[in-house]
Amino acid sequence: MRAILLCGAVRPMVISGMLPLRQLSIAVSLLALAHPLAAQNYQGKELVKASLVADTSAIVPGKPFTVGLLLRMAPGWHTYWKYSGDAGLPTEIKWNLPPGWKVSEIQWPIPLKTIDPGDILTYGYQDEVLLIQEISPPAKIDTSAVKLSAQADWLVCEKICIPGSANLALELPTSTLGEPKNTELLARYRRLLPQMFPDSKTATASWSRAGKDLDLKISGEQIANYKTLDFFPVPKGNTVVGHPSVESRTGNTISFKIPIESADESLSSMPGLIVFAQDENGSDRSAWELAGTQIAAATSIAQPSHGLATFLLFGFIGGFILNLMPCVLPVISLKIFGFIKHAGQDRRGIFRNGIAFIAGIFVWFIGLALLLIALKSAGHQITWAAQFTNPYFVLTLSVIVLVFALDLFGVFEITLPQALTHRMLDSADREGEAGSFFQGLFATALATPCTAPFLGTAIGFAFTQSSAVILLMFVAVAAGMSAPYFLLSAQPAWMKFLPQPGPWMVHVKQFMGFLLLATLLFLLYVLGAQRGLEGAIWASCFLLVIAIACWMKGAFIVPTASPFKRGFVLVVMLLLLLGSGFYFIGDKFQSSRIDIAQSASGGGWQAFTPERLQSERDQGHAVFVDFTAAWCLTCKFNEKAVLQNSEVRDAFQRHSVVKLKADWTNGDPVITKLLQQFGRPGVPLYVLYPGKSQEPIVFPELLTKNILLDKLETITVASR
Amino acid sequence: MKTKLILTAITTLAAGALYASDVPPVGTAAPDFSAPDANGKTQSLSEYKGKYVVLEWFNPECPFVKKHYGSDNMQKLQAEYTGKGVVWLTIDSNAPGAEGNITADQAKKIMDSWKTKQTALVLDPDSKVAKLYGAKNTPNMVVIGPDGKIVYEGAIDSKATPNPADIPSSTNYVKAALDEALSGKPVSNAQTKPYGCSVKYKSS
Repeated sequence: MRAILLCGAVRPMVISGMLPLRQLSIAVSLLALAHPLAAQNYQGKELVKASLVADTSAIVPGKPFTVGLLLRMAPGWHTYWKYSGDAGLPTEIKWNLPPGWKVSEIQWPIPLKTIDPGDILTYGYQDEVLLIQEISPPAKIDTSAVKLSAQADWLVCEKICIPGSANLALELPTSTLGEPKNTELLARYRRLLPQMFPDSKTATASWSRAGKDLDLKISGEQIANYKTLDFFPVPKGNTVVGHPSVESRTGNTISFKIPIESADESLSSMPGLIVFAQDENGSDRSAWELAGTQIAAATSIAQPSHGLATFLLFGFIGGFILNLMPCVLPVISLKIFGFIKHAGQDRRGIFRNGIAFIAGIFVWFIGLALLLIALKSAGHQITWAAQFTNPYFVLTLSVIVLVFALDLFGVFEITLPQALTHRMLDSADREGEAGSFFQGLFATALATPCTAPFLGTAIGFAFTQSSAVILLMFVAVAAGMSAPYFLLSAQPAWMKFLPQPGPWMVHVKQFMGFLLLATLLFLLYVLGAQRGLEGAIWASCFLLVIAIACWMKGAFIVPTASPFKRGFVLVVMLLLLLGSGFYFIGDKFQSSRIDIAQSASGGGWQAFTPERLQSERDQGHAVFVDFTAAWCLTCKFNEKAVLQNSEVRDAFQRHSVVKLKADWTNGDPVITKLLQQFGRPGVPLYVLYPGKSQEPIVFPELLTKNILLDKLETITVASR
Repeated sequence: MKTKLILTAITTLAAGALYASDVPPVGTAAPDFSAPDANGKTQSLSEYKGKYVVLEWFNPECPFVKKHYGSDNMQKLQAEYTGKGVVWLTIDSNAPGAEGNITADQAKKIMDSWKTKQTALVLDPDSKVAKLYGAKNTPNMVVIGPDGKIVYEGAIDSKATPNPADIPSSTNYVKAALDEALSGKPVSNAQTKPYGCSVKYKSS
């Protein structure tokens, strides 16, 4: 009856234009005085009753409590979710809190999805909704009661839409103890809050771009238990999103298609909810919240349609770029030096050597892939360069580097075991091939800490994929890395551009030894960051004994020496190695520890913890997080060239950005999880959290001053 | 994409043409239409080839539309750009029986009392034109270039609220697009998310 009256009453009034438009524009009962309860009346009908509720009878200083805006809508009328869909407007709450008080973002219950004639899709609430927020009072409150006021603005629609607004207040006494209040109501709406997206053991999400559509694939056992699944998007900025639909569904996997109507080609994901229910809009509905990331469009990484082929191409290019990384460069020089040595040989010999080197590269990567697949299926959180978080891996690499350096200096010659050597002495070629093979292995082992930009994206993609794809990915990387050697050995004619062999080669060889020692310094620095100065010193002691052992081999285990003498020296060598290994490494190095939090301080940078990030964001601060590790050269480069640049430092200060450093040197599992949330297999990762309600901005792995400054400027505009 | 559009078109026709189709992308040809205006004259997009055309979806009862008419914001825009030779077509696509649907007489009365300055108020009660443009909101704005291609589509301005007090501090996207286009520059913000009430299509 009332609805009929309403429809009848509205039309003639507006169309006749009898009332001044300025009064018509907002037909709202705006209460001048703040009350705990307010009603929106329209045409004599109460549309919305708004009130504030708290979970406690009293405020305890320093103890956060929960408040909620309760909106009760007249039958048939609805208010909107944080993304309202094709029409409508989200409800807003503006708190007016005393200084020192903080309020969290709104926690929105999972909305209902409505489709109106004309395929107009909206997300909102019918009958009633409670929008929950957390309020943190200061540790000291001087008054005996506190009045907290808020202005709420909403749009309520049936067939027509009416904006509503209310000034509400909540007055609570301060006390040392508060009685629980509104427990049933809060519990009812907390059940309807989305959950965090679960860990990778329970479910995985992967994004891809196919033309204008975003594809979202979710895998997890829970999927099979629900009749209806849906994706509710939360597009950011000017992104115009179409209606998400289920593209395919089989057992534990579901794919959503999310059409993007705006020309956002760099868009690679979108925040939103994965909604589970037995019936659409059922009261049993539950959801996982998926945080999207916004990739700062800067390099060619951000291209549409990242299909498998594209990612394999990235893997190939990434592999190629690995050759240029500072941690591989010395070995590459070694190899080129090898090519020069072979330049005088016949073509087939050169080709065989090249292929052996390439085989070394492939064996390393395939081995790594198999290891990762094995670990992944065992449920470990495995990430690229993860082996560098293990100090024993770094130590082993240090030993290899030192031994190679000593070999280059001529302290001793690396030979294969006697039985093999004897057989191979006949054919110098074959020994060269074996050497080339191990050089291939060695070069790639050194390459892993340098997550080159392309490689990061490609491997990141691979980690969300099946084992076969991971294997393919690593093969692509191996192919990319070996491409230049393949070309040079297949076309040795191009080697004529390389200089002629001569005595200078000995000097070059020795000089290469120093480059390897420089690499050793870097590895010791990593060990120092992981195990402290003491740890690095104990490791160095062990390395010294290894050097002595190498010298003994070079000086005494020579073909002219008697078998007895050789055997004796060998036993002494082994005893030395075992003894120092047990003492320096098994005991001293093992027990060296370092406080990681200390290593993060300096230059205005503070140690990262998820709680820290949350509290800074809750206070409305912009936060920049530098995910780094001592062994990550790309990170070090970015820090020196960009983050410590005076212009950047000024910009950080000007926009009062909180700078947090997340140190992954020792493979902190909390940071590992965050890296995975951003789809990254390792460091570096740079994330800017602009403001409270804005999505984090992810920067490219090769950070540049301009991208960072640009993005810092946009935040200020956005938060204004 | 094209096959998809064709498929959508076919299914839409088959389903009785009840659903808004996809929004035609910026840079593509604006779909042609013919519909009567409040004065009974037929308005066709094709007759304005060579001119800039603004399409504005309208509902006299929608608070978001009222925000811009009540503050004189829309009228000023209409006067300014029709003065510069731009064709401004206001379109009411609300179905009969739904809020915002108007007859020719009602339309004339609104134009008169609201002192609107558009070229014509087009009546589209069967939502044909709205479907062609995938229009879902009032106001929803489309700017078409002299070559018949869409140069802008989306919201009227940057602040998605029904409050007229927000108009002075917001960026008017339609004004920005027209200013850029008229001075021969590419439109820097060519697509935004429209905000407002829904277009009231006929219920099935």
